[in-house]
Amino acid sequence: MKAILHVIEYDFRNFFRYRWFIIALIAMNLADLFISAVVFTQMTRGIVDYFRFFAPGLAVLGLFASAFMIGREINMEVRREVHHYLLSLPMSRTELAIGRVLGGGFRGMLYMTPLLLTNFVLLGLPTLPQLLLILLALLLLAIGISGVSISIAVSTTSFEKFVTARGVVYYLFFFCSSVFYPMAIIQTLEARGLTPLVRFAQINPLTNGSDLIRSFLLGSPSFSPLMLLDVAVFSVVFAFCAAFAYTKILMRH
Amino acid sequence: MGLRKIRFVVERDLRMFVQYKFMLIMRGIWFVSQVSLFGLVVGKMVEAAARAAGINYFQYYVAGVTIITLYSTSMFIGYDIFEEAEHGVFEYLLTLPVSRRELVLGRSIGGGLRSFIYVGPLLIIVLTLLGVSNPLHLLIALAGLFLFAFGVSGMSITIAVAMKSGDKYDILIGVLDALIVRLSTTMYPTIYLQEAMPSYATISQFNPLTYASDLFRWGTGIEGTFQVSPLVGVLALFIFFFSFTFIGVVFYEKRLEGGSWQ
Repeated sequence: MKAILHVIEYDFRNFFRYRWFIIALIAMNLADLFISAVVFTQMTRGIVDYFRFFAPGLAVLGLFASAFMIGREINMEVRREVHHYLLSLPMSRTELAIGRVLGGGFRGMLYMTPLLLTNFVLLGLPTLPQLLLILLALLLLAIGISGVSISIAVSTTSFEKFVTARGVVYYLFFFCSSVFYPMAIIQTLEARGLTPLVRFAQINPLTNGSDLIRSFLLGSPSFSPLMLLDVAVFSVVFAFCAAFAYTKILMRH
Repeated sequence: MGLRKIRFVVERDLRMFVQYKFMLIMRGIWFVSQVSLFGLVVGKMVEAAARAAGINYFQYYVAGVTIITLYSTSMFIGYDIFEEAEHGVFEYLLTLPVSRRELVLGRSIGGGLRSFIYVGPLLIIVLTLLGVSNPLHLLIALAGLFLFAFGVSGMSITIAVAMKSGDKYDILIGVLDALIVRLSTTMYPTIYLQEAMPSYATISQFNPLTYASDLFRWGTGIEGTFQVSPLVGVLALFIFFFSFTFIGVVFYEKRLEGGSWQ
């Protein structure tokens, strides 16, 4: 456990090296909320209060982007062979791999906290059990995202290929989810023959994560334990994949 | 000033653009997902409001995304300038039998031209989707977009040479991108910017992206988008192009002297 904590601490320290990048990310997130969402609120009057709808989505969006950053670092380590140093540390490979996955997830939670607090200020406070459920779901989501990111990062030594794969994953997860628009509207795509995208949107953990926050802060959609289950399955599957892939890659070298 | 030498500089920048192949692929993926997912779904969400404003939101958005892509690819030239400073290519460039002014002007033109070449295929897809009601309007709009692309390149060069750190440039561009795109009519009509916050609408009137996207929509015949005369749009883009190309040239020229980039 102590070794895992050291790895998490290492990743946390690295995270703060990107403080300017984080500031730019926050600026973009806030511009999304206070400019785009405010304008779309005017355009969706009578359909949805877009500003209130989008705020929980924004917290999930920020969580996704920041938890994904661990992949960029690990890809750089693989390219520059920093893992030789990491392997020389007095800890097992499994501890190292678990620490990296958790570290990425906790970094996502840290970045997302001000955005979640903004949600509480704008939309109201949840009850204590609801708050705990929100935090649990977001932590699981962050660990899963960190897992996806690490799995991609160790699969290639080319930074360009990593960036391209990251782009595909980003856009698929972002735009094919209820982060930006209600599920009921996404379902209208079925009429255009885009049923696979609708199905993906329904099981997308970003959909379930943002809808879970909405269910407690906005009362709609209603809470379902399946939301939490969906995020948990995503988290377990990708955390395992990432730890396995990371350990294999280290062993190969 | 030798046109032949400027052509060589432009050619070099065009060749360098190919090295960003993965970034360009990513931009392409972004474009497709914006159009085929975000545009379609948001189009449904704002259907009633768009009808009230007399627009088809999907068409409106597709045109806007094209301009955002043109803007972001034109900004790439700034990254080249930092790469060159970091890897000592500046010194090599200064040894070439090309005057400082030719070099700078060539870079500004090259930056704009290569983004236009990149956006070309996307533009053909978009024009197929939107249709062209008046070819003359389209030609005027494309001329305006050329000015816009060169102006953005000039702006990118100006910012790049004004900064010492590549990281800070990257961050500033990120923040600028967030604001300049959102505070324009690329994604939503002025009427809704005005309703949301009058100050947003005021800022958008000074935003080159507003003029570029509105002019492009006018060129393709999308109804009810231009708030001012297209002539004003072209004029605004010309002023933008002229100001930033001139400032970029002067800044870049000054920076080249005395090794201040090191």
